[in-house]
Amino acid sequence: MASTKLYTAIYVVLFVFATVQALVEEAGWLGGSDTLYWAAFAVIIVLSLIKAVIVAGYYQHLKWEPRSVSYVIGTGLIAALALTIAAAYSIT
Amino acid sequence: MTDDTPDDGSIETDGGHATEELPAGEDHDDHGLPPMSSVKRWFLTTNHKDIGILYIGTALFFLVFGGILALLMRIQLWAPRAPGEGLLGPLAYNQAVSAHGLLMVFWFISPFAFGFANYVVPLQIGAKDLAFPRLNALSYWLYLFSGLLFGVSFFQKATFSGGWTMYAPLNIPAYTPEVGATTAILALVMFVASVTVSSVNFLTTMHRWRAEDLRLRDLPLFSSSILLTVWMMLFAFAALLAALIVLSADRLLGTTYFVTQEGGSLLWAHLFWFFGHPEVYIVFFPALGVMAEVFQTFTGKRIVGRKWFVAAMVLVALQSFVVWMHHMFLTAINLQIKTLFMATTIGISLPFDLMVFALIYTLIKGRIRFTTPFLFSFGALLLFIIGGITGVFLGAVVLDYEFRGTYWVVAHFHYVMVGGATALFGALYYWYPKITGKMYDEFLGKVHFALYFVGFNLLYFPMFLAWQTPRRVFDYNPAYTPWHRLATIGGFILAVSFLVMFYNLYRSLQTGADADDNPWEYSSTAEWAISSPPPLENFPGLPSYKGGKLNFVSKVTGGATDGGEVTDGGTAVATAAGAGHGTAAATAHEEEHASHASFWPFLLSLAGFLTFVGVSGINKGGLYTPLAAVGGLGVAGSLVGMAREPFTVPSPELAEKWPFDGVEDMKLGMWIFLASDVVLFGAFIGSYLFMRVAEGWRNWHHLIPADHVVMPGLINTYLLLTSSFAVVLAMVAAERGSNKGVVASLVATLALGIGFLINKGIEWQHLFHVHSEAFPEGWELSTNIASSTFYLTTGLHGAHVIVGLLITLYMIPRAWRGAYSGNDKPIEYFGLYWHFVDIVWLFLFPLFYIL
Ligand code: HEM
Ligand SMILES: [Cu+2]
Repeated sequence: MASTKLYTAIYVVLFVFATVQALVEEAGWLGGSDTLYWAAFAVIIVLSLIKAVIVAGYYQHLKWEPRSVSYVIGTGLIAALALTIAAAYSIT
Repeated sequence: MTDDTPDDGSIETDGGHATEELPAGEDHDDHGLPPMSSVKRWFLTTNHKDIGILYIGTALFFLVFGGILALLMRIQLWAPRAPGEGLLGPLAYNQAVSAHGLLMVFWFISPFAFGFANYVVPLQIGAKDLAFPRLNALSYWLYLFSGLLFGVSFFQKATFSGGWTMYAPLNIPAYTPEVGATTAILALVMFVASVTVSSVNFLTTMHRWRAEDLRLRDLPLFSSSILLTVWMMLFAFAALLAALIVLSADRLLGTTYFVTQEGGSLLWAHLFWFFGHPEVYIVFFPALGVMAEVFQTFTGKRIVGRKWFVAAMVLVALQSFVVWMHHMFLTAINLQIKTLFMATTIGISLPFDLMVFALIYTLIKGRIRFTTPFLFSFGALLLFIIGGITGVFLGAVVLDYEFRGTYWVVAHFHYVMVGGATALFGALYYWYPKITGKMYDEFLGKVHFALYFVGFNLLYFPMFLAWQTPRRVFDYNPAYTPWHRLATIGGFILAVSFLVMFYNLYRSLQTGADADDNPWEYSSTAEWAISSPPPLENFPGLPSYKGGKLNFVSKVTGGATDGGEVTDGGTAVATAAGAGHGTAAATAHEEEHASHASFWPFLLSLAGFLTFVGVSGINKGGLYTPLAAVGGLGVAGSLVGMAREPFTVPSPELAEKWPFDGVEDMKLGMWIFLASDVVLFGAFIGSYLFMRVAEGWRNWHHLIPADHVVMPGLINTYLLLTSSFAVVLAMVAAERGSNKGVVASLVATLALGIGFLINKGIEWQHLFHVHSEAFPEGWELSTNIASSTFYLTTGLHGAHVIVGLLITLYMIPRAWRGAYSGNDKPIEYFGLYWHFVDIVWLFLFPLFYIL
């Protein structure tokens, strides 16, 4: 397991990332052209993904568990994504 | 230890040996459990065999319930009728159709299979019980009470009448306004709770409680099929839960998901069938497992291509999640996706073909003994082949344009589903001697089969011939009258066949011959190696498959004691080392004081039942609201009672735990539960994204008031992140043995969580009462689809926060008393949950506040 120092560093990173996400909105990219909107979209979602991976990996200690535990969660994630993507595609 | 058993079980087995020497059957000390003859036992028991029996009995009750409704429909269909003619009025008929479907699919068939799974799987894998016996009892009671709740719905004006698929918009109050319709939905919610608890339990058990050296791939085929079924259940039912919660919100809170013009009814179809297609395999897999097992036993032949058979099952389990849109070929989805799903549907029938051929070859190569279980399993195979072939027709887009909504579909799915049930009736005969210690009457069993098989085909085959009859409607083209009459006659013959079955089961219990431990010559799984019925804790010593044979290790001597059975995944071992018996039994007794009785699962489920009855009519006022409150208190009280009750479950020391070595039972259970929660939230977020795509992604902003700003979301992100950090600190403090640190960190978590809720409350109040040009009436749950998705999704998350805070509230005083210093496990498990809630918010925040 990690040290308190690492846990704290992670906390700071999470805090900063959340702030950056809000700043992207503040910068007005989301009101801009489609290209700009989707660029901002990508940035924001990627930041969320990174945060999620960090929390799962360190706070939930997935990094130290057998890989199979991550696969179980990953399977749930893939199922949800399959539903979402295929359903959304079906009405395009 | 002597190994006097040749391969392939071609011997008189020696299972009976164990019974004489061991305190078997009724343990002389049942660990605080009253004897089976006492009614009290059945309310208290947490033993997997008792619960298996309860499941089987209850499922048969719901079979009769659903069956009577079916007979009423068949009477109505004796002749084509106009509304108002015949036995059932239009609303009554619609209720009968819907309730029949729901009862059979949910409350009969799977629970029936899980009765056997409960009884047999621990025996087959060499476990003393399931990993969480109290949760197992909880699953049962939630199941029973959810069924009773469904029964209540009939008395609240009318039960749900929109068909078992509950399509939108028929499922909203505008079309089904009765309180009973809501109750039926809530009954399903409760049923899903039961399924989820049971999935977590079975998965933990089957992955971590297998006897030494029993690899997953060597599991007996029934257990394999159950393992795959449970994995499918875990994910599929989470999607159904999402659909049901949204539907309940639409009915009770006024959200507008399914009435939304753009995408509303398609959303239901996606969510329902994403669950629904895996569900048909969830129903069918246990039957497949029974067929494989019974074929092996009564042909004396290992299944041909066993490896491939198992691989095909794994493949089907995975594929079952990517074929759901073949139920939506007649909706507005685009042609590309229809074509894709036609291809995946054809794809899924290939591994099925392989399994069918493996079963057929096994028959050809073996020597068949025509016992009742065999006949039912063989019948199931024939019916399934017809059902499968007719399904492939439906999987072709163009043909389905013709068949959709007709009796062809009705006939198809009855052939597959009731075909599956056929094998399960075989299972009832197959394991009857093990469960009761008595033989059933073989002649009556065969009479049952003959009536059943004739009745079944008379009932369902004419439906293919009269296929142009529209389903769920009692008026049809008079040209089909003879076919429908035949079907009605077949239905009654089928019903009569069950009278024979019930009589047989009942009589045999009274007067049947005593069954041997192993009444079947070629049975090869571990349950036949112990007495009929097995003792409370199943095995004389620790089961082990070391050396490819089942034997029982006594911890004192370290030697094997008794076995006497050919086991799947190994060969036989029969030991005459009688000396070992006493030792093993004695040690088992001294060391393990496993608990077997708890009243809380029953109470908790009863309280849940009352809560749901209350909630169903919460908008009607009257007695409903206080009932919901009383029920809610009961739920909270029972949870605390259950948490405080001392209950020992010794985890097996010698066990095969791949692939979860090193993850304790509780932790694994928590992770598996979280995986299902991932799907629940995934389906909620997916619904939001779907509705937003349907609306036009960037048009969405027009549905949201300008007052809906980023700030409250950002503040809540900070609060939640900090609370997660506080939980991490609590764990660190517990590791260090610092009591104060634990308490301080947990209090901080609680405070931050409360802050989160207060902030959210202020935000919501503000949004409810905005007065802008676009939203003069405020922005409430029912304002539009954007407000509905916002409030419901973040509300579900908020509910998770509240649950987490209640847990901290429970933990703080315990931490004060030092419960966690040096034992950080409970905090770690709680942390898994809390960080998960945090992670969900990490996505809700950008999706609902920024983008
Ligand atoms: C070879 C395998 C199968 C194929 C290709 C197949 C295909 C289909 C298709 C395309 C439909 C939709 C028909 C329509 O509504 O127009 C359907 C309906 C259905 N199938 Fe199957 N099926 C197969 C096996 C099964 C099995 C094993 C079960 C259950 C044990 C099952 C249960 C059902 C049910 C319950 C429905 C009706 C749903 C409703 O009420 O609308 N099917 N099948
Ligand atoms: Cu399907």
